[in-house]
Amino acid sequence: MERRGAALAGLDRALPVWAAAALVLVFLMALPLGWLAHMSVTAERGGFTLGHYTAVFADPALQRALWNTVVLAFWVGLVSVAVGAPLAWLTARTDVPGRGLIRGLVLASFVTPPFLGAFAWVMLAGPNAGYLNRLWRSVTGAEAPLVNIFSMPGLIFVVAVYTFPYVYIMVANTLALIASDVEEAAAMLGAGRLAVALTITFPMVLPALVSGFILSVLQALALFGSPAILALPAGFHTVTTQIWSLFQFPPKVEMAAAFSVPLLLATVVLLYLQKRLLGRRGYAAVGGKGGQRRVIPLGPWRYPALGACLVVMACAIFLPYGMLAKAAFSRAWAQPLTWGNLTLGNFAFTFFEYSATRAAIVNTLELGFLTATVGAALVGLLAYIASRRLVLGHQVVAFLALVPVVIPGVVLAVALFIAYTRPPFVLYGTLWILFVAYLTKEMPVGYAQSDATFRGIPPDLEEAGRILGAGRLRVLRDITAPLARSGVIAAWCFIFIGVIRELSASIILFTPNTKVMSVVLFDLKEEGQFGAIAVLGLVMLALTFATVTLVQAALGRDVLGARD
Amino acid sequence: MPGITLRGLGKRYGGVAALDNLSLDVRPGELVALLGPSGCGKTTTLRLVAGFLKPDTGEIRVGERLLSSPASVVPPERRRMAMIFQSYALWPHMTVAQNVGYGLRFQRGVARAERARRVAGMLKVARLDGLEARYPGELSGGQQQRVAVARALVVEPEILLLDEPLSNLDANLREEMRFEIRRLHEAFHITTLYVTHDQAEAMVISDRIAVLNRGRLAQVGTADALFEAPRTRFVAEFIGKTNVVEGVALSGDTIVRDGLRLRVAGGGLAAGARVAVSIRPHLIALVAPAVGGADALRGTVKRVAFLGDGVDYEVEVAGADLTLRVAAPTSPRLRPGEAVGLRIDPAACVRLAEDDAPGAS
Repeated sequence: MERRGAALAGLDRALPVWAAAALVLVFLMALPLGWLAHMSVTAERGGFTLGHYTAVFADPALQRALWNTVVLAFWVGLVSVAVGAPLAWLTARTDVPGRGLIRGLVLASFVTPPFLGAFAWVMLAGPNAGYLNRLWRSVTGAEAPLVNIFSMPGLIFVVAVYTFPYVYIMVANTLALIASDVEEAAAMLGAGRLAVALTITFPMVLPALVSGFILSVLQALALFGSPAILALPAGFHTVTTQIWSLFQFPPKVEMAAAFSVPLLLATVVLLYLQKRLLGRRGYAAVGGKGGQRRVIPLGPWRYPALGACLVVMACAIFLPYGMLAKAAFSRAWAQPLTWGNLTLGNFAFTFFEYSATRAAIVNTLELGFLTATVGAALVGLLAYIASRRLVLGHQVVAFLALVPVVIPGVVLAVALFIAYTRPPFVLYGTLWILFVAYLTKEMPVGYAQSDATFRGIPPDLEEAGRILGAGRLRVLRDITAPLARSGVIAAWCFIFIGVIRELSASIILFTPNTKVMSVVLFDLKEEGQFGAIAVLGLVMLALTFATVTLVQAALGRDVLGARD
Repeated sequence: MPGITLRGLGKRYGGVAALDNLSLDVRPGELVALLGPSGCGKTTTLRLVAGFLKPDTGEIRVGERLLSSPASVVPPERRRMAMIFQSYALWPHMTVAQNVGYGLRFQRGVARAERARRVAGMLKVARLDGLEARYPGELSGGQQQRVAVARALVVEPEILLLDEPLSNLDANLREEMRFEIRRLHEAFHITTLYVTHDQAEAMVISDRIAVLNRGRLAQVGTADALFEAPRTRFVAEFIGKTNVVEGVALSGDTIVRDGLRLRVAGGGLAAGARVAVSIRPHLIALVAPAVGGADALRGTVKRVAFLGDGVDYEVEVAGADLTLRVAAPTSPRLRPGEAVGLRIDPAACVRLAEDDAPGAS
């Protein structure tokens, strides 16, 4: 009897819970990606073919789209480094005034949906009606516009002003970890200021810099909204808009699948490079505990430096936000803001007259709450499983939860479209396919947050509960969950923010009854309703910032990640 | 009150044996210290006993009850044990009273009122009364430690496990807590396994000490026995300071090393065999260089370190490539370079076995 009882007790009674969570994960990842790969090599009448690939790469239009994407991504990476790195250095190491403010504005730029920025910049720098161009004409009397945002440089600019925060975060966090004593050690040995910067500081920051560059490139590769808003009117495609247009009637799903694969592979390779770089960055982090960081006095350069920061922020925040606000309250957004032009009509139109808006806001919020709640629970469970090694193959769990990082939204949408338009899972046409898309897409962000949370809870605390008589699930409830609460709230918020701004997967998966806010914004653009775009955009921004505030309160620090 | 029986216990991580064929009996009501350097397998042993790990070989019993074997492990919550962690592992979101009372929630037949009464009683014993409503973050290190102790004892466990519980305290408090833990053990007489890497702590606290080295049991015995009759070079050097002299057996009771002859009590050496002996520094007497005799040696003082209650000498032995540590009274004081005689009682020379010899007493 004794032996038998012991054998039964030896089984982890909570095992079904862990196993179920792990299986959900495998299902979420394997089904769409499997279908994507399958579809890209299956001929119309069945059987294996590479025809779709050859068709895709032989098509000159698609080749141009590919090249445009390369150009866009490379330049965005470069501009992001050129802007993000100096900004990071200024706020992390110098006495430039308003460092907290600048950091806050970088955060604002980080969470601004890029397509909103693109809309705003259309109103600011469209060649004819663009506000800045009209100002330029009226001041100089010139005929030609000052700038044309509908161009490759315009696109690069608009993407980069919302992408440079990736470089900023990487570099600022690394600089915050390098104590000044490693620099002072070099100075004591006779190195001058320039020599210290070149031989010590710069090499230590370099991996972060390159890593930030790669992240920016990845963002630009995966972006759909800004190219659709700026490149299509300019008459050129990127890979993402091209995949989207392959979905327009008549849909060429196989071609879209075949065209998705290179984007997927490029992302995998870049992310792998970035991980390797970060892996070797360890030495910078190790030296960083508690050391003092010396502030470099800028002297007479303090205010010019602040000015430069503010110019960047004007492009990312002040001008676009101002433009959106102005458009929201104007009868005609291009006209000056006079009493006669002031109106609340855009709000009335957006919320009461335009039929799709309210349903879209409801859909977005429903999806946001549902995805964030299910997602936070799922990633919490998965991170717990992985960090406590509860199932065989827990490393696979961690890997799979992070896999969607490498899947651009458009590609994910193609894969989900293929997977869930056919039995046994017909979800297309319902909100559920969007739910699955969002859950998959936001999984890595939520997982990373949850993983950090559970790593921060020493296993001792759980073991102490076990030995005093509490079972694994009881310990999870009494000890782990209360300690993980703020981390889980943060994961919830990150997922929620991701969902309400999601465009690139939604634009392919929506149907007339399942529109979300970002899709309606796009419809409004087709109709030229910039007043309504501005109103809806402000709603989206308000939701985003409210959620960000919640995260910061839960975590007790700012979202960008470094301590003060 | 049951004891603990470990039989042939083994645990591997990857290809590395963390624990190899460990057998050990902890008698009912006894406190045994698991002592060894880091990586010796002592924490692995404790975690196996707690049920956090599953053994690859061997079994663990408490009394007649089989708790662990490669086939099955009774989960920690059903082993009727308590553990005090190195980090204390106090739950930061629970008050002192909630921390201490947590384990009682899982004891059937302990009503709420009874629970509160026992918590209050234990807090008094642990001198924590008045701190019930505090959170762990609001306590000093010593108070946190007492909460950890109270939390473990209030459930009246069959077995108590301690994982280096004093290593986070400062030196003074640590010394005080050693006696405190010993006092608690004498009051409650719970069968206890105590992991430490500090030999002085093990000697003060435990009834017996099990010395572990590289996953194996090197020797088990009382502090006196380990100190006076270490079985291996590892034990001799780990418990207290010692001189290890290697030589070749000349006869049944004499070994030689170059010009040095040492008499070893007990005899039974095989002539020509390589032999190592341990000689404690305080068992070597420094005498005037002229005095002769069978056991007398001569040497030169190389280094002198004054320790307050004694003097630590390094003496180079004449005629052998050998330096001996000698602990001597503060007077008479010798100076570096002085010639000196040494007298070593044959009983002070303890013959050592090879370190890797398996098994133990």
